[in-house]
Amino acid sequence: MTRNFCSRLVATAFIISTMCVRLSASNADYDKAVKALGARDYTTALRYLESAISDDPDNVRYASEYRQAAIQARDFDRSVQFFEKLASEKPNSANVHLNFGFAYVDKIPAAGSITQVILANNALKEFTKAVELQPNWINYYTRGMSYLFWPKVFNRAPFGVADLEKALQIQKPGLRRSYYVKTYVGLGDGYWKTDDLKRARAIWKEGLKQFPDNPELKARLAQKGDELKATIEAGFDPGKRVNTDLKELWANSQN
Amino acid sequence: MRARYRPAWPLLIVLAITGASVISFAGTHQQNQQDQRWFEDVTHKAGIHYRHHTRRFNNPYAEIMQGYTKLGAAAAVGDYDRDGFEDIFVTDSCSTCKNHLYHNNGNFTFADVAEQAGVADGNDEENASAGALWFDFNNDGFPDLLVVRFGHPILYQNLGNGKFRNVTKASGLDRYMNAIKAIAFDYDNDGYVDLFFGCYFQPINIFHPSTPRFFPESFENANNGGGVIVFHNNKDGTFTDVTERVGIHTTGWTLDLGHGDANNDGFEDLYVANDFGTDRFYVNNGNGTFTDKTESAIGFDTKKGMNADWGDFDNDGLLDIYVTNITDDYMREGNFLWHNNGNLTFTDVSRETGTYDTGWGWAGKFFDYDNDGWLDLYVVNGWVSGGKESYVPDIFEMITKPGVDFSDARNWPPIGNKSLSGYQKKRLFHNENGHMFKDEAARQGLDSIKDGRGIAVADFDNDGRLDLFVTNADDEPYLYRNVLPTGAHWVGFLLQGTKSNAAAIGAQVRLTANGQTYLRYVNGGNGFASQSTTRVHFGLGKATRIDAVEIRWPSGLKQTLPPPAVDHWYKFIENEPASSIQVLEPRR
Repeated sequence: MTRNFCSRLVATAFIISTMCVRLSASNADYDKAVKALGARDYTTALRYLESAISDDPDNVRYASEYRQAAIQARDFDRSVQFFEKLASEKPNSANVHLNFGFAYVDKIPAAGSITQVILANNALKEFTKAVELQPNWINYYTRGMSYLFWPKVFNRAPFGVADLEKALQIQKPGLRRSYYVKTYVGLGDGYWKTDDLKRARAIWKEGLKQFPDNPELKARLAQKGDELKATIEAGFDPGKRVNTDLKELWANSQN
Repeated sequence: MRARYRPAWPLLIVLAITGASVISFAGTHQQNQQDQRWFEDVTHKAGIHYRHHTRRFNNPYAEIMQGYTKLGAAAAVGDYDRDGFEDIFVTDSCSTCKNHLYHNNGNFTFADVAEQAGVADGNDEENASAGALWFDFNNDGFPDLLVVRFGHPILYQNLGNGKFRNVTKASGLDRYMNAIKAIAFDYDNDGYVDLFFGCYFQPINIFHPSTPRFFPESFENANNGGGVIVFHNNKDGTFTDVTERVGIHTTGWTLDLGHGDANNDGFEDLYVANDFGTDRFYVNNGNGTFTDKTESAIGFDTKKGMNADWGDFDNDGLLDIYVTNITDDYMREGNFLWHNNGNLTFTDVSRETGTYDTGWGWAGKFFDYDNDGWLDLYVVNGWVSGGKESYVPDIFEMITKPGVDFSDARNWPPIGNKSLSGYQKKRLFHNENGHMFKDEAARQGLDSIKDGRGIAVADFDNDGRLDLFVTNADDEPYLYRNVLPTGAHWVGFLLQGTKSNAAAIGAQVRLTANGQTYLRYVNGGNGFASQSTTRVHFGLGKATRIDAVEIRWPSGLKQTLPPPAVDHWYKFIENEPASSIQVLEPRR
């Protein structure tokens, strides 16, 4: 019994020490990657970031900065392949699936119109896995917005609205984060896409009370008809790059 | 002592009264113009309303092919009997359907003379008419007729007496090709026009395919199509396939071809619009060969090129190119309006000019419909207008299937009675001084929702206002008469080559009026499923006087004409004294 306890203790200590070693290794790799990014040496940066993410797959910052570096290097396939491999190795990491989905999204503006559809569909599958593993604000918000990009004929906007409503429920009781304004903008757009202009305006107004200086909400509330349509549709143009940088999640978290 | 200015009050009062009435008249006139549509649908009145019928296939893939072969509604304009009025040849596509040769009676009515002329037969179990082209292959001054087909093309020689003779076999053009488009121009400037075929499917018998793998292998860079075939005119009534020799190497799914002299070096260059992938741009080297300059000129695209028309939309003396693609809710490709940068590179300005989105585009033609001196654009669109259900989810299911072989027709879902980019409104883009285009289709009566294919532009009544003949798949065509009321001035030329090819294809005319020089040229059939007039037309707006006219013939000869009076069509023959220019007098 005592022997058993001792061996368990040793094993636990070993795991903890291994984790610490890996985390410190990932920190060191991250630091090297930051240096390489400063020198615009994206190939080196990607290599170090891959190493850092492999050691710390749930690190949102590493994964996000890796994808931004891949965008700079226009090496979209590398990013997709990296997260594909990591997702097979770490199938229970919501962060990996979220960023795998974003890796597909990052490639969309550089792809042909049919490939765009395939990439968007693949991204949606990964966002769904992320929601299933961790039903938090970022995962609901991301999948909700992803649904809204689909053309009307696929009737996916109602799913987007449902996800964004859940994201709103999650964000309401907690601290007010600057990025929470996005939910109000996106949910209103979702209502507009499901032909419910009244609810769209109501949620934009509610958002403006929380975030009185937000230009996107102001513009939507000031516009109607074709002008409003143009504003909303401009935000869902697959030819334009979607900002998938998640730095707001760790920077300036309170507004 | 300084003279004091004293207003002539009585005069001012008179001016005020008359001025007010002038303004009031102008206002009413403007209002009337706004109320009146400038294009009148005269299809039935003109007797030109026979509908098109898409080919229905009788093979194991028939139901699938139905969704991808709603093609073949084409028209070509040419004055085959040289009576001074432009006639129209129109294709039909079902196996028992006849093609039509509409003879222009000179009073905006037409008579179908295809049977008497001997050009009605264009369809049977092994061939389907897909396009048509008038071109004078033997330089006798009478336009001959090429019927472009899925199958074997037909070359009809114009005998000059209202009759035609099938000379396909003797000409060397009798070979299987799934051609959908042909244009003619003299690529080596030897005085005879050559033939360029654009082929959709590869040359397998699509009526009885021996393999199911004859569909595009990719949606974005398919290279298993029919591509381009070039025939050199041997000047003796025969043609030789010189595709390889001239350096045209493409096996894309070609839907349209357009030629023009991009760098003003006197040699015609070529734009190839390919479905399911990359368009191609070939520069004429001036020695009987072309160089593929796609990468540097336009870059590699993954879109669905349908149309290639050339015209100088911003009057900068360089020919630009308009290409239609697919722009819909589910696929936002956007068209190309390739602005010619003057150094054999082009910049797409479709977004900036408002010509980006025309739905599922087909033919798009430059023409100056209001005679203001700026080339406008008319674009037809729409793929299949069927039932309420959309075909998009079916296609989506196929393309997201991992490892699917697109080239295998059996993997493509049948369209049935579903719609795909159907019921789309056509666009008439009015050119706003070369910077922007504004859609005036609804206002001018040109916003039909039929599945449009080709646009043939011509002045059917010789009044200087350009009319339109529009073909629609599985439907009646439209003949739109231009009834523009403004009184804007114009001038036009019918050119005849002597050292150059007889139809003067490739001749450029530079006309100066009102301090502006305009470039227009004779094209040999540019634009999807249609051939417009080979006459050269200039809108002149308020200008009542022309300052200069210069013609650059394909032979290289440059001639300056004495400025002619406005508001007439003129005929001019190469190398004749400039004073010999004559007003074009129709024979009736």
